[in-house]
Amino acid sequence: MKILVPVKRVADPDNANKVKVSDDGTKVTSDGLEWKMNPFDEWSLEAALRLTEDVSKKGMKGDDGKPLDRIGEVVLVSIGPKDAVQTIRQGLAMGAERGILVEAEDSSLDSHVVAQVLAAVAQKENPDIVFLGKQSADGDSNVAGTKLAEMLGWPLVNYATSIRTEPGSDTLTVTRALDGGVQTIEVKMPCVLTSTDRILHPESVKNGVTPEDHKYPESEGGRYASLKGIMAAKKKPLEETTLEALGVTPKRTEEYVKFALPPAREGKATVVESVDELVEKLHSEAKVL
Amino acid sequence: MSLFEPTDEHRQLREMVRAFAEREVEPQAAAHDRSESFNLDLFRQLGELGLLGITCGEQYGGSGMDAVAACIAHEELAAADPGFTLAYLAHSMLFVNNLYQNGDEDQRQRYLPKACRGEAIGGMCISEPGAGTDVLGMTTTARREGDHYVLNGAKMWITNGAISDTELGDVFLVYARMEGAARNELSMFIVEKGFEGFKLGQKIEDKLGMRASPTAELVFADCVVPAANRVGEEGSATLHMMRNLEIERLTLASMSLGIARRCVEIMNDYARERRSFGQPLNRYGQIQRHIAESYAQYMAGRAYAYAVAGRMKLDAPGQRLDTDGVKLFCSTMGKEVADRAIQVLGGYGYVGEYRVERLWRDAKLLEIGGGTVEAHQKNMTRDLSRLDRLR
Repeated sequence: MKILVPVKRVADPDNANKVKVSDDGTKVTSDGLEWKMNPFDEWSLEAALRLTEDVSKKGMKGDDGKPLDRIGEVVLVSIGPKDAVQTIRQGLAMGAERGILVEAEDSSLDSHVVAQVLAAVAQKENPDIVFLGKQSADGDSNVAGTKLAEMLGWPLVNYATSIRTEPGSDTLTVTRALDGGVQTIEVKMPCVLTSTDRILHPESVKNGVTPEDHKYPESEGGRYASLKGIMAAKKKPLEETTLEALGVTPKRTEEYVKFALPPAREGKATVVESVDELVEKLHSEAKVL
Repeated sequence: MSLFEPTDEHRQLREMVRAFAEREVEPQAAAHDRSESFNLDLFRQLGELGLLGITCGEQYGGSGMDAVAACIAHEELAAADPGFTLAYLAHSMLFVNNLYQNGDEDQRQRYLPKACRGEAIGGMCISEPGAGTDVLGMTTTARREGDHYVLNGAKMWITNGAISDTELGDVFLVYARMEGAARNELSMFIVEKGFEGFKLGQKIEDKLGMRASPTAELVFADCVVPAANRVGEEGSATLHMMRNLEIERLTLASMSLGIARRCVEIMNDYARERRSFGQPLNRYGQIQRHIAESYAQYMAGRAYAYAVAGRMKLDAPGQRLDTDGVKLFCSTMGKEVADRAIQVLGGYGYVGEYRVERLWRDAKLLEIGGGTVEAHQKNMTRDLSRLDRLR
């Protein structure tokens, strides 16, 4: 199985309160913040690694020196300036096989252009799955995955919470969380997936090879890169390409007009005496009922 | 790349350890401090990440990295939990690195892979109830009897000596003197839990700080050690000890750096948010002095430590003056920065929830353990007395 995982670098989302709007309102600045892999992408990368490994052979190597626990291929792709290779290296250190950097200025991109680029890479790489984060922690658009599926004409399952498959099968059984419950979908590959954090649950991914009763550790994010992984990542292939080389003519569909911070909250609190009074106020004053 | 991360691998190492420390280590620190207990499960996760054998060769399950990498790992872990990090240091530097540098092939094969995976918890024994800074005043003896040695004596303040109230750690490097040997001729032995005559004297309770690392007194009463477990020649271990003490001091100093960084972050955050007399605390000169001096001293210590780490060779001694110097400076710096953090936070700094009181208690140990500041002053002055000019 071959999985293409797009990874975006974002300003450290744990310090999102330090993001500022420039004085003229033309852009959002994140000066002084570290770049991190978009956490939503990290969840999908973790799921992709689980789909393509045999945990029972962890740490074992074949006669050719290749790790026996890897039974598929995960290819990372990032679109951004040269520095974005650091995000790809992190994913390689976590266990992905190789990386592709598509060089572009961050300011020249929107969800549509990202989907165009990913479609071109997918057509070149022919993966079984393109596995995206459902959104990025900076723009929070939640659009690129859906546009990509449309451009490729591939089936799409957004917000996956679990995935099950068998070796040699061309089908995935995916559950997704909806407001009203859980939906189970059988989807033929190639397909486009996005995930939620529930994909990190210890038993959310079953690939039919890793022992059925294996439980991954509880975690808020993807696996940590081990020191072995960090050293091995140095030797993994990393291809650099451009929009032109991929034959992409970028067609932006979004233009940002102006950025402004939300107005400061007033912080007014009203103490009510009874539930009846609360309902009345929610209806007549807050107008939310 | 920078002094603190000379290569891209060092940068990635720091990122990885910091993420692990923030997500996994920090949340458990207060509880293990309170209960004076060792988090064995978390410790074993360090093995999966390759940190337990960070400077050990890959052929024995290690990661084959250098002194700078060791500093990074200790600095980042200590920013979250110095007590836990001390147990890591005793295992990975005092046992794994020491045996990797000084052991023979058979000893490395027998002990290092398990230690790198965290299946065996290791430590090192130098101090005794009656001998600390006066290392060569140790009285533990060894004598040869046929195919084995017999050890007698007691060792004190042994980190990882016990992994619970009643259970010994798994394997130790023990320094002792052959009966009748000269004062400066020490020998080293690998002693395992289960060897006849090797006992837990007591788990040491009620420490001021570093409570998440277990400390014990270990007793050797006619303890029988196979001859194959003597490391190096009889009488040759004083050199092993000196060589390994250099990386010990450097990594202990790195722990002080981690403590200092965390304290600077906490006091900086607090002084921005907390208001007094109508404006944030950090508008006041008294508070500015605490924050700015702490940061400058932290960065000075950091520059000194990484400059020494960058030229350190793990298989050769030769950095005693500066490894002593780094620890002399950083240990007291860490304690003072933690003290200032408490002062900036006022009453909040004095309670556990704000973390700096724990870091302050932990920081104090680093002025004592792995060489008291007085020992560093003694060693350094002796080394300096042989120099006319500084290069």
